[in-house]
Amino acid sequence: MTEQPRGPGIEGFLRAAITAWALAGGGLLVLVIALNVLSVVGGAVVGRPFPGDFEITEIGIAVAVFAFLPYCQMTGANVKAEILTSRAGPRLRALMGLAASLTALAFSVLLLWRMWFGLLDQKAYGYTTTILQFPHWIAFAAVLVSLVLLAAASGLTLFHDRQDVATFGTR
Amino acid sequence: MTDPFVIGFGGLAALVTLIALRMPIAYAMILVGGIGVSLLDGPGVLLSQLKTLAYGQFSIYDLSVVPMFVLMGALASASGLSASLFRGANAWFGRFRGGTAMAAIAACAGFGAVCGSSLATASTMGKVALPELRSSGYSGALSTGTLAAGGVLGILIPPSVVLVLYSVIVEANIATMFMAAFIPGFLAVALFLVTIAIHVRIDPEAGPAGVAVSGRRLVTDTVAMAPVAIIFGVVIGGIYLGLYNPTPAAAVGAALVWLHGALTGGLRWRQVREALLETAAISGMIYLILLGAEMLKVFMSRGGVPQAMAESMLGSDLPPVLVLALLLGALILLGCLMDSLSMILLAIPFFWPVLVALNGGDAVIASEAGFGMTNDDLKIWFGILALIVVELGLITPPVGMNVYVISAIARDVPMRETFLGVIPFFVAEIFRVALLIAFPALVLWFPHWMAG
Repeated sequence: MTEQPRGPGIEGFLRAAITAWALAGGGLLVLVIALNVLSVVGGAVVGRPFPGDFEITEIGIAVAVFAFLPYCQMTGANVKAEILTSRAGPRLRALMGLAASLTALAFSVLLLWRMWFGLLDQKAYGYTTTILQFPHWIAFAAVLVSLVLLAAASGLTLFHDRQDVATFGTR
Repeated sequence: MTDPFVIGFGGLAALVTLIALRMPIAYAMILVGGIGVSLLDGPGVLLSQLKTLAYGQFSIYDLSVVPMFVLMGALASASGLSASLFRGANAWFGRFRGGTAMAAIAACAGFGAVCGSSLATASTMGKVALPELRSSGYSGALSTGTLAAGGVLGILIPPSVVLVLYSVIVEANIATMFMAAFIPGFLAVALFLVTIAIHVRIDPEAGPAGVAVSGRRLVTDTVAMAPVAIIFGVVIGGIYLGLYNPTPAAAVGAALVWLHGALTGGLRWRQVREALLETAAISGMIYLILLGAEMLKVFMSRGGVPQAMAESMLGSDLPPVLVLALLLGALILLGCLMDSLSMILLAIPFFWPVLVALNGGDAVIASEAGFGMTNDDLKIWFGILALIVVELGLITPPVGMNVYVISAIARDVPMRETFLGVIPFFVAEIFRVALLIAFPALVLWFPHWMAG
């Protein structure tokens, strides 16, 4: 989970954007926490919890977690098994890294495409939460931004993995 | 290739291969699940599922405690809680032979009460307690072994992220599971303390007694532990008494840890930023595995794999307890390959139907059940047993993440020695699992009593 140094140019910009977006997700998490604390205190003191705290928690956490995914991909936080290939050559490791980044890229693009149609569905049918009538498509819009950044993060790791393969391939 | 069952088992084999080749576990699950569903039902089904599947999974209310507990643990690691816990425990235990190691175990347990992760507990307490253990003349094996094992208490003592995920998969009540973990958690602490006592009895050089602190220090150091007791009481006590759901409880806990850290000066903006990014990395990883596990589950149940496993186990005529032991053994072996979170999410959907079938099916009554208890009780009991064995992977080779974390801090102790130092604690854990299998009441009594 070590943060790699930010290079200049496009990569540096992407890294900064992905980190900032994850921090924004963290900020949203803190807001949801604050709301739940208010709700508990309100329930205890005034006898009335915050209305709709359940659904705000659900949507807030979902949007926040999507915002975490690009950072997760960029920092290589996704867990792998460590047993068989720890003795395998650097070439095999580099190739598997490349395959993993490709999968991540393909999946993020696929999800982006499908959730765009998901957003259109939510909007067309006017789906909202029960109590506060918050439209779900707004949450979907924030999620799509996360998925664009996830694709970008996968592109970054893919670029580095390809370099690794090129390096070890010639040895 | 048209037989769903063949495709299902082919998928399982592909999954294991991908994971063994170091494909990130979440993406291995997503890949196999997605391709499998496309093969069985056509790509159209997968494409329409993906419109809402991820959003639906990520917005499950019960899961919202996960990022909150992760943040709470990250903030607790960054603030000074761990140091005051260790000082307080050492003021009591330090004067005895092996006492400083016992204090480290007690402090790990205390830290586990505000943190739901083993690695965080091991690394945080390791940084605090290792220098003290070494300067007090404790042997390398005892000091590092104690801390690697003590880290496991982070997960065993509620709140526990693994237990939350288990509850969501088998649709158990999180509050009930946290109650069930209570007595086994205390048992773990007690057995670890006994383990240290035996260790220093056999080898007195390993853990020399320290000097007793003054009565005044004893009081101030004990009082300094109060914030942890208060936070644990408010969070877990509140959940136990049914004052609120786990989610608001986790929110209050995270807020209290933050407040404490800000007041004592341990948490500045830089530490908060680090804690938020750590939360982002860990929560993102957990949720992505969750999504992969869901996609895999859809595929596997469509292929009929869990049902087939349940039937073959039923047809084998093995006694239920033996099958239970086999499943737990399989989890220990899986622990050589992957971390506890992935293991719970991957294996439990396969194991749970087997146990229900062995117990006598869905509507069985306790007196006729294979395990002599209702399915609800079985769910609780197996959850705690599974929780313990998946954690064993953290202290055994070849993965043994806790051991690596501690070795990274204790550079003067060879890793081999750390693994050796862990062995007595491993034996204690196996003994504890055997106790809990022999006496399920150790798990079930407290939640039953709390339910009235």
